[in-house]
Amino acid sequence: MNSSSQTSSLLARLRLSGSGGAALRVRFIGVLAFQLLLVIVFTTLAPRFLSWDNAQSILFTAAILAMAAAGQTLVVLTGNLDLSVGSIMGLVAYVVFDVSSQAHWLMAFTVPVAIALGAVLGLINGVLVAYLKIPSMVATLGTLSVYRGLVSFYANAMEVTSGELPQWMRSLATQRWLGVSSYVWIALAVVIIVGLALSQLPWGRKLYALGSNPRAAYYYGLNENGILVGAYVGAGAIAGFVGLLLGAQVGNINSLLAFGIEMQVLAAVVIGGVSIWGGSGSVYGAALGAIVLATINNGLVLVGVQEFYRLLFQGLAIVAAVAVDALVQKRVLTATRRRVILEVAA
Amino acid sequence: MIRALRSYSAELLLVALIILAAIWSSQLSPYFLDVNNLMNSAAFFVVFGLMAFGLFPIVVQGEIDISLASTLAVASVLFAKLSVSGVPVLVAVPVVLAITAALGAINGLLVAYAGLPSLAVTLGTLGAYRGVAYLLAGDAGVTGLTKDYTFLGMSWIGIVPSTVVLFLLAALVIGVVMETTKFGRYSYAIGANPDASRSASVPVRQVRVGAYAIAGAMAGLAGFIWVNQYQSARGDNADGAILFVLTAVVLGGVSIKGGSGRALGVLLSTLLLATIQTGMKLANVPGTSQTLVIGLLLIASIGGPQLVHLVRTSVLRPRRSAPVGGEAGVRT
Repeated sequence: MNSSSQTSSLLARLRLSGSGGAALRVRFIGVLAFQLLLVIVFTTLAPRFLSWDNAQSILFTAAILAMAAAGQTLVVLTGNLDLSVGSIMGLVAYVVFDVSSQAHWLMAFTVPVAIALGAVLGLINGVLVAYLKIPSMVATLGTLSVYRGLVSFYANAMEVTSGELPQWMRSLATQRWLGVSSYVWIALAVVIIVGLALSQLPWGRKLYALGSNPRAAYYYGLNENGILVGAYVGAGAIAGFVGLLLGAQVGNINSLLAFGIEMQVLAAVVIGGVSIWGGSGSVYGAALGAIVLATINNGLVLVGVQEFYRLLFQGLAIVAAVAVDALVQKRVLTATRRRVILEVAA
Repeated sequence: MIRALRSYSAELLLVALIILAAIWSSQLSPYFLDVNNLMNSAAFFVVFGLMAFGLFPIVVQGEIDISLASTLAVASVLFAKLSVSGVPVLVAVPVVLAITAALGAINGLLVAYAGLPSLAVTLGTLGAYRGVAYLLAGDAGVTGLTKDYTFLGMSWIGIVPSTVVLFLLAALVIGVVMETTKFGRYSYAIGANPDASRSASVPVRQVRVGAYAIAGAMAGLAGFIWVNQYQSARGDNADGAILFVLTAVVLGGVSIKGGSGRALGVLLSTLLLATIQTGMKLANVPGTSQTLVIGLLLIASIGGPQLVHLVRTSVLRPRRSAPVGGEAGVRT
């Protein structure tokens, strides 16, 4: 047998079988198709579903979730998790609104104060994960209860009522800009800012590098701890901001605001195609995942299905999305290997 | 002798901490050291302890299962339903334990055979199983259980509640299994190095699924204890218990990265957490603030040793040139 002809035929076969990028595109289109399917199913089951008002309400729910998911995406891209997102939202919302209702001159600064407080809480998470090398799941499960404990300690079973919120924050939740809820525009802005930061800033590219191969990133000379802490600080800052918005929407804030929301946020991120292994996915996908989840929640209510099914569907959706990601990752991996073989051969 | 002491240093530390916590608690309330109080408090933590011992082999294998509390909820609701519809308890126990073992095995199959990360899988089933429990239980939950399903919660062997005896037995069984059987040795091997274990023809996948099935069965058993103690079942039973359970396991010296840890440590750390929480209850610390302390303990139990290591390396050996390979601070 002529070995060189054998190799060349092998190479020809390799060239035919496409690249891994296609798999990732299919993943995104798959989520879009799933969303379309949901719309069709819910419209047939409940004709009320397909209306401008209902779309508004879905987008409004999705807005909060999409922003929180944008923050979570930063962390998940590094191959870690932030389970404490709900506790950060609750703590920041309660503390900031409580303080500003007592010290009125602070009202003008609620947004920067909330972002700063969220960033500090994120910083703690980041230090625990990056420097103390605590697996992110354990560290943030710990801070989930610590932050929630702090807010309940601070709140002491009291509430901040909507009357005590700054006027402009109270009205923000009900305002419409160009016919669409202000929250949707704010969410759009947050998602785009995070998206641009990820694609344009060197820091964004480093997040992907660290997530896809921490060892290679280290040998390349990236400051892995710094990048990781940065991701957590960013996630915390966004969570603080979202907590503020959620608080303004809810009105009466107690120490349980946003309790358990981490499940939904993670579900949005994972469904949206951000790989739980890190290094792959986009914040736009996560936002789409948030819309999918909001659609499911809304549709199930309209169809008149019990609330409990939501948990079931959400859980199954996470498992399904991760299973699909495993396939996509395999594809990308073999495609990359193929490319390397071809390059070496060339 | 000294070597034996040193190899059990984590356990000795836990014993010391338990004594300190007990002294502190008895300062808070004169009723703490009352035998009846101690026994009743212990019975309260049986459910959590059972789940901790279910989680223990999984963590030894380097994986995680955060869906156990949801599995418990499914079990408790199933027990309640079976009781109400008149199924004898001797039939119900094996049936429900088999179901919860199957729920655990589903996690295991997804982790071991589909190769999915255990955290994501069990995060999904955490929600899914909880949804199932709610669906079975309905809004109101299930009450009116027959006596054969609840007598264990009110019976004592001597002065010890029988649920506590049951827990100690289950803990002993898990401990013996992990120390003496092939399954146990394989678990440690897989946790230390899954690839090497596979090369050494350890049936990695089967052992993984086995561990998850055992954990499911333990959560089912915990669900049985639950209906015995509370005579009712609802969809939200034990929601959020995983914090306590995971803390008990890692505080007991079981490395979250897998490969090490002993049943004795898990038992002692469960005891420590129980003592601390009972003390806080006596001091009227509200529930959410109690979780604050447990959360701190969770972080401290893993972060503490690393902090000591960081301080030691930066203070004692300030200038180390060019670290190599695995030492280079890269998470492996």
